[in-house]
Amino acid sequence: MDKAFAERRRRELMLAGCLALVAALVPLFVKDVYVQNIMVLTLMYAALSQSWNILSGYCGQISLGHALYFGLGAYTTALLFTKFGVLPWFGMLAGGVISALIAMALGYPCFRLRGHYFAIATIVIAEIALLLFQNWNWAGAALGIDIPIRRDSWLTFQFARSKLPYFYFALVLACIAWFVTWWLEDSKWGFWWRAVKDNPDAAESLGVVVFNSKMGAAAVSAFLVAVGGSFYCQFVSYIDPESVMGFQFSLLMALPAVLGGIGTLWGPMLGAVILIPLTELTRSFIGGSGRGVDLIVYGSLIVLISLARPQGLVGLFARKKKALAP
Amino acid sequence: MTPLLETRSVTQRFSGLVANSDVSISVGRGEIVGLIGPNGAGKSTLFNLIAGVMPPTEGAILFDGEDVTRLPAAERCQRGIGRTFQVVKSFETMSVIDNVIVGALVRATHIREARRNAHEVLEFAGLAARADVLASDLIPSEKRRLEVARALATRPKLLLLDEVLTGLTPIEAQTGVELVRRVRETGVTVLMVEHVMEIVMPLVDRAIVLDLGKVLVAGKPQDVVRDPKVITAYLGDRHAVGQ
Amino acid sequence: MTAETIIQSLASGLLLGLLYGLIAVGLALIFGLMDVVNFAHGEFLMISMYATFFLFAFFALDPLLSAPLVAAALFVFGAVVYLLVVRFAMRAKANAGMVQIFSTFGLAIVMRGLAQFFFTPDYRSVSHSWLGGKTVSIAGIFLPQPQLMGAAVAILAFGGLYFFINRTDFGRALEATREDAGAVALVGIDKNRVFALGWGLGAALVGLAGAIMAMFFYIYPDVGASFALIAYVTVALGGFGSVFGAFAGGIIVGLVEATTALVMPPSLKSVGIYAVYLLVVFIRPRGLFGSI
Repeated sequence: MDKAFAERRRRELMLAGCLALVAALVPLFVKDVYVQNIMVLTLMYAALSQSWNILSGYCGQISLGHALYFGLGAYTTALLFTKFGVLPWFGMLAGGVISALIAMALGYPCFRLRGHYFAIATIVIAEIALLLFQNWNWAGAALGIDIPIRRDSWLTFQFARSKLPYFYFALVLACIAWFVTWWLEDSKWGFWWRAVKDNPDAAESLGVVVFNSKMGAAAVSAFLVAVGGSFYCQFVSYIDPESVMGFQFSLLMALPAVLGGIGTLWGPMLGAVILIPLTELTRSFIGGSGRGVDLIVYGSLIVLISLARPQGLVGLFARKKKALAP
Repeated sequence: MTPLLETRSVTQRFSGLVANSDVSISVGRGEIVGLIGPNGAGKSTLFNLIAGVMPPTEGAILFDGEDVTRLPAAERCQRGIGRTFQVVKSFETMSVIDNVIVGALVRATHIREARRNAHEVLEFAGLAARADVLASDLIPSEKRRLEVARALATRPKLLLLDEVLTGLTPIEAQTGVELVRRVRETGVTVLMVEHVMEIVMPLVDRAIVLDLGKVLVAGKPQDVVRDPKVITAYLGDRHAVGQ
Repeated sequence: MTAETIIQSLASGLLLGLLYGLIAVGLALIFGLMDVVNFAHGEFLMISMYATFFLFAFFALDPLLSAPLVAAALFVFGAVVYLLVVRFAMRAKANAGMVQIFSTFGLAIVMRGLAQFFFTPDYRSVSHSWLGGKTVSIAGIFLPQPQLMGAAVAILAFGGLYFFINRTDFGRALEATREDAGAVALVGIDKNRVFALGWGLGAALVGLAGAIMAMFFYIYPDVGASFALIAYVTVALGGFGSVFGAFAGGIIVGLVEATTALVMPPSLKSVGIYAVYLLVVFIRPRGLFGSI
């Protein structure tokens, strides 16, 4: 029994490795900058959604304000770089740590709240942060921060002439997010989260301190999302409150997971691969009159999935596996 | 020898309703004690108080020499109080083995250790063959056994069993009784709430009878069963059913 | 800052607060009835504002006249949303929390997309209504007539709602279903019918608010989003499930917003009410008057 389980775990790891390899080779064949841009964003959202999934999927605390950490990551990196000359690599780390600490601090009062109240509280907190940044002159207020573009360099993590370094970084980030999830799945925390999500009373009777387990999930999730935010900052070289802390980011982090399968290992990845290109393409190809088509499409997908298949699209593949097993 | 569990004048009030009144009981190490009484006697409430679901309105609860009155449920489990629920609360979305692993994680430092312990407990409880089955796919008697297995995985000193033998077929009930005996043989003290007299009386060392939130009588099962106060308490119930 | 300006601010805050209460009460009603938060509530407001606008643009109907029509239309819409979407969302066993949040959320996104597609993101406004631009002077304070009418409508609506819930048969059925949805089936009350009508009622109230607000707010596809947040804050403040709480919550929110605008830069005026929401749910998770 244990052997079958270990086998499955190994297979998952190998599958991830193969996919990562295939993904790594894609830019060699796809040279179109526009398409490369979509791929970078897809990978970034895959990483973000995977991280969001740790708190909201596995732990069951649906957050609709994760843009807070994304923005904090972006701003920490941008501010440390433009004001103090700190390299973005350290900025990323700093942003991650700050976000993790804030996530835990917020978790303290927030985790007591029931589902709806919690979700609304996360929206509200992110909005407050957005408004504060919009009025914070030192951080550029509503005008935001411009990252001065100098020559391409891995040190300052800036590349004007090619998207490839960004692509590979995003790929690595997605792999890390996936790997952290994979590792946590078979860990104390992973079991605690699933237990708490399934039946908190039973979990408590088995010694699970519900509160502590949620704090851990919040910290990890926030850290990774913040790193994603730092990455985004370097990718677009300009940030302002609306563009990194806006509610649309909170949504775009959640929707791929919901579509692909909330609380699953592959769900957010699958969801991102479908949703992000779809969003980008419908937004640009249909031109002016196509405004809102992307919203209609992915809004409908979300409604359909929630009602017809709450376990997400990953469920489709699982079914096939079950059918094959003896 | 100090009793493993002691409740001292425990009273529980729920906005006007008194569920437990001045309940003082004790459970010695290695005993199997039965907690019986007619419906509404306050057995489940007392169980929840011992397990730490809520603190008592008045009184104290001592476990293994320590005052645990204000300790929440999760910490009581860590101290060694394990429990099952009357309405089975298995983790429906998880497999049988995963259910038990959650329990085993209290004592294990590493997940591998927890997994190993979980397998052992499943063997002990006779569920080894169903390890990978989803909890929601189990039949009721298996779910009951899973409840017990899960609680056992936490390596409790005291196991609180809430009506684990109720509603089973005679054969299932006998298997259940055997399981409880084997549990005690491993050194675990058992406090069990039960309705089915014929099954529980031969099993327990002592019986405590609750009625209307108070302790009516406590003692050897054969004595308790013949006590006139107990008969009255139950007779009233049976009359209502139309004897 | 004179006493006059303060009173002026608070007065308009009060008027707006009553309108917020009207928006929020539909949300409170639905939640109290079936423990579901309508995350598309802002979009219900948005389409009622658009409906009012188009009735004005095509039929020169003043918002005051179209208000009952819009409310009726929203009633139907709300019931339909329940029957087609929410009814299924409530059946979910796995991931129930996620389903309830995202089913109506997805709907909100679709509605916003449709609005953008059909109406374009351009800002619209009802350029001249009967009350538009007029003010009334009460004890030296100038109050805009549309907002005053809005407050009056809100008070009437609350009164009507109170009467409806406590004195009519259907209202009692609503209460009964709220208390025990399973048991009401045993006395012959069709749970789905009650829920659909509850949604219709909640939507109609928001429709009323939207029709009034069309007189003095710009109308665009995302207009629902900002008011939605205020509605959630109001309901949470007053207590999910409490109609009276929505009323009181709305007044409090309106006043807090006005006060914040007095002491802080205008772009930060929402921070006050957001902070109040957090304070309330942290200290009193059930809100001021909530029972859930």
